[in-house]
Amino acid sequence: MSQPAYAGQPKKKTKLDIAPIIGFIILLAVTIAMILPFGFMISTSLKTTKEMLVFPPTVIPEQFAWGNFKELFINDEIKFGRQYGNSLIVSIATVIGTVLSSSFVAFGFARYRAKGSQLMFMLVLGTLMLPYPAIMIPQFLLFTKLGLHDSLLPLILPAFFGSAYMIFLLRQFFSNLPNEIYDAGRIDGCREIGLYWKLTLPLAGPVLATVAIFSFIWSWNDLLAPVLYLDSQENFTLPIGMAAMLSSKFRIAPWNLMMAASLLSVLPIVALFAVAQKRFVEGIVLTGIK
Amino acid sequence: MNKNKGKLLLGLILVFSMVMSACTGGGKDGGKDGDIVTITHYTIDSPDRTFVEKLIPDFEAKHPNIKVKVTKAPYEQFDSKLQSAIAAKNAPDVTSHWGYGGFMEYYNKGMLMDLSPYLTDFKASDYNIPEDVMNIYKVDGKTYGIPVNSYVTVMLYNKDLFDKAGLPYPPSDYEDKSWTFDKMVEYAKALTVDSKNLNEAQYGVDFGFGERDQRPQYFGGNVYSEDTWTNGGKPSEINLTKPEVVEAFKKVYGLIYDQKVSPTPAFSKSVSGQFGDPFLSGKIGMSVVGSWSLAASSDFSFNVGVAAVPQGPNEKVRSVLYVDPLFVLKDSKHPKEALEWIEYLVTAEVQEKSIELSGGNPPVNQQAAEKYYSNFEGIDPEQIKQVFDGAYKYGFESYNHLISNYSQINELFINELASVENGDKKVEDALPAIETKLKALLERLNK
Amino acid sequence: MRSTKESRREGRNFYFFISPWLIGFVLFALFPVMASLYYSFTEYDIIHAPKFIGAGNYQELFQDEQFWNSIKVTLKYTFISVPLTLLLSLFFAILINQKIPFRGFFRTAMYFPSMISGVSMALLWFWVFNPQAGLFNYVLSIFGVEPIAWFLDENYAIWALIIMSFWGMGAGMLIFLAGLQGVPSSLLEAAKLDGAGRLRSFWNVTLPLISPVFLFQLIMGLIESFQVFTQAYTITQGGPNYSTWFYVYNIYVNAFKNFRYGYASAMSWILLIAVMIITYAIMKLSNRYVYYEGGSER
Repeated sequence: MSQPAYAGQPKKKTKLDIAPIIGFIILLAVTIAMILPFGFMISTSLKTTKEMLVFPPTVIPEQFAWGNFKELFINDEIKFGRQYGNSLIVSIATVIGTVLSSSFVAFGFARYRAKGSQLMFMLVLGTLMLPYPAIMIPQFLLFTKLGLHDSLLPLILPAFFGSAYMIFLLRQFFSNLPNEIYDAGRIDGCREIGLYWKLTLPLAGPVLATVAIFSFIWSWNDLLAPVLYLDSQENFTLPIGMAAMLSSKFRIAPWNLMMAASLLSVLPIVALFAVAQKRFVEGIVLTGIK
Repeated sequence: MNKNKGKLLLGLILVFSMVMSACTGGGKDGGKDGDIVTITHYTIDSPDRTFVEKLIPDFEAKHPNIKVKVTKAPYEQFDSKLQSAIAAKNAPDVTSHWGYGGFMEYYNKGMLMDLSPYLTDFKASDYNIPEDVMNIYKVDGKTYGIPVNSYVTVMLYNKDLFDKAGLPYPPSDYEDKSWTFDKMVEYAKALTVDSKNLNEAQYGVDFGFGERDQRPQYFGGNVYSEDTWTNGGKPSEINLTKPEVVEAFKKVYGLIYDQKVSPTPAFSKSVSGQFGDPFLSGKIGMSVVGSWSLAASSDFSFNVGVAAVPQGPNEKVRSVLYVDPLFVLKDSKHPKEALEWIEYLVTAEVQEKSIELSGGNPPVNQQAAEKYYSNFEGIDPEQIKQVFDGAYKYGFESYNHLISNYSQINELFINELASVENGDKKVEDALPAIETKLKALLERLNK
Repeated sequence: MRSTKESRREGRNFYFFISPWLIGFVLFALFPVMASLYYSFTEYDIIHAPKFIGAGNYQELFQDEQFWNSIKVTLKYTFISVPLTLLLSLFFAILINQKIPFRGFFRTAMYFPSMISGVSMALLWFWVFNPQAGLFNYVLSIFGVEPIAWFLDENYAIWALIIMSFWGMGAGMLIFLAGLQGVPSSLLEAAKLDGAGRLRSFWNVTLPLISPVFLFQLIMGLIESFQVFTQAYTITQGGPNYSTWFYVYNIYVNAFKNFRYGYASAMSWILLIAVMIITYAIMKLSNRYVYYEGGSER
């Protein structure tokens, strides 16, 4: 979990320092506050409809309503399983598209100089700041006129043209690779594509993992674009599907089902986090600072 | 300069569509084989609408040259999805105003097809559709829609709560003039239990008469000038500050804050979410509500009864009517076939079948109505008939079908009245500001 | 010295490799930006052809109460939420950077909630802030506070959203943490030898060194918070009484509910310009206040 890299200061301590103790107490309190809502989420997801509205709320459900989770999948008005699948399709396709295209483009930016390459890179930086709401209307109109409405394609296609964020991140990494390996590659008869595919990509494993994780999370959580493009419940991704659970279809707002759905919907992210925590931290720090 | 931009745009679109079609392989466009025509029926994604899918096999068997395809969208997105389908040249043939917007909105946008030329052989009486119901969807003698379901506003009450409180059930006969608004409030007081615990709290009445701007009508106040109903849904005057309208709103919200017999929005939304009906939670004694709530009555966790909406200050209007028509959209390439489908849906036989399949949609075909009245387990058919007959007699069509651009008007009322509903503001303080805003909105919309 | 042939070949390679991005840039950035500029001068409901109306949309916008309200709401949220979140995340980064037991656990626990954004988070918080049965009012009730209607009360809805945003501070904290660990201990030692206390050495040594991190987060935070949509769409629908009518929600409603694509495009463009100006202004200001390590790249 934690790396030894923290040990910066010398170890000697002459007198008792109370600052860390106060710090510890504050951190403990805040951590509890940070985690409490998630405890509430888990607890509610296991409550019966009757128990969920009791005030004050019970901490541990009187009886565990595991059926809530089953209900999500068998209730045809929710179509949770279907929407889960759609979300997976969109996010996985987005990851593949982003990783392939961004690394391809970043390779170009990192390895070659040409007339206009400075300008091009400035444009990449420029689109980093470009807010999606500023461009969504024409994008929506185009996809609509092309009849791609109510399909997952408008959510996936743009990923195959590279993400400015990821291009930026990968370019930094590729630029730092030593030239020698490419010279060696050329001698071995690799063409430019081969240099990218056979030499660079394998070296970039960890960074690509970071790119993959973050594009997955962004796409998994995205609401605005799916709201614009998806019409029918069968084609919904999880975020709209869950937002729709709040609306009139249900008798009483099924908070327990919604919490169960939320819980299941964060599962892939938790799983990723558990497997690749280091990549997460690295990604945050890399995309953050540079 | 503008022209150049337009050209640039056009060029880009062309390039784009070329790239796109290269990307997606262009596997669309089924084409028509022979004489078979496919029409699209666009509806809300809820069981009481999507049941039409079950009628298709029978229809197609009888009309071998027509295929029907059903497309769906959730209620909140119904209008916007329809709009984008039209823009994508992918417009459905048959639909209704099932979203926020209504007939007048569609009509004024030029979305509807004039059906008169195709209706020369059509007689409303063949389908037992009352003439005045048929007339709702006529403008200048041209027919734009065929009614298919007619909902009314009813009072539902929770029999269990009434029994517990030892109260007599409210009457279903609209002519029983002892059943008044004040009597209702009296009952409601007896039914209310004030408590912080959601499981104990209970309220007497939820007065959901029409949308917010129509509620004053019940008390004899009219928010919009009379010409609205004849000029295409564009009110020339707004009367939000007239004393009778102010008084009416005071009465409505007085139920929450003066009489304390109605749930606050905080309570309603706590138990039933943003759009839900708190009556279904079993914590509301009486609910004035659209008759579609009746359709789900078999799923209620308590015994339910129907009653007349009590007699209020306005003797003429006690129920809001919601007659749902079917439209054929202007871009339809097969209006004749679309009409065949619509006519099929209003035949007595299919309307009867639809009652069951939909869970209880009130048919417009009066021959099928009898069957509708006896469709609800535990509720006396005679009572339902009385409630419907009374509602038709004392009914007024819902504003959302009659006023142009209703969705934006409604949005304004919902937001502006929120502070009143939360008890932060007094009715008389809020209304003048709403009037100003509404006037500005209408001026822009109807310019 | 490179030969022209070689540089031409390099140019070809360059454009070959960046071609996906270039196409994407034209299709998904340049074209939409230009198209929305064009639409912003038209009246357009996507059923009928766009009708050129000059600056009509912009004129109307400046008189549109809802437009100004959406700016007010967005700025209020931004100017309270972004700085506070930033300061909190810096504060906790400093705490965690101390020698404290279970540091790894704290770091993970603080960071974890920030990954769960979007609708699941919104639903959870809608439930946590439920006036009758929610966790938040329960905790407050322990301290004798009367129940608050939060998202259902126009005076509290935006505050509920601001409180909710603090749970996303973990990502910022991680970035600060990395920045803090990049501060050379030799400098801190030197400051200590000069007799500087903890606060002083933080102010004089650490803060200038991490100022670029601070700046970056500030810009990103502002841009992100100008685009709040999910909470408004899922929880409040902009209400009650327009108190959470965020700018992007306003664009969404005007375009996709009221079908005024031209009018909404005008708003999109104003957003774009605002983002550009703010970014530019902060970068300019930063030249005066932000310390960059001498001669690093860029």
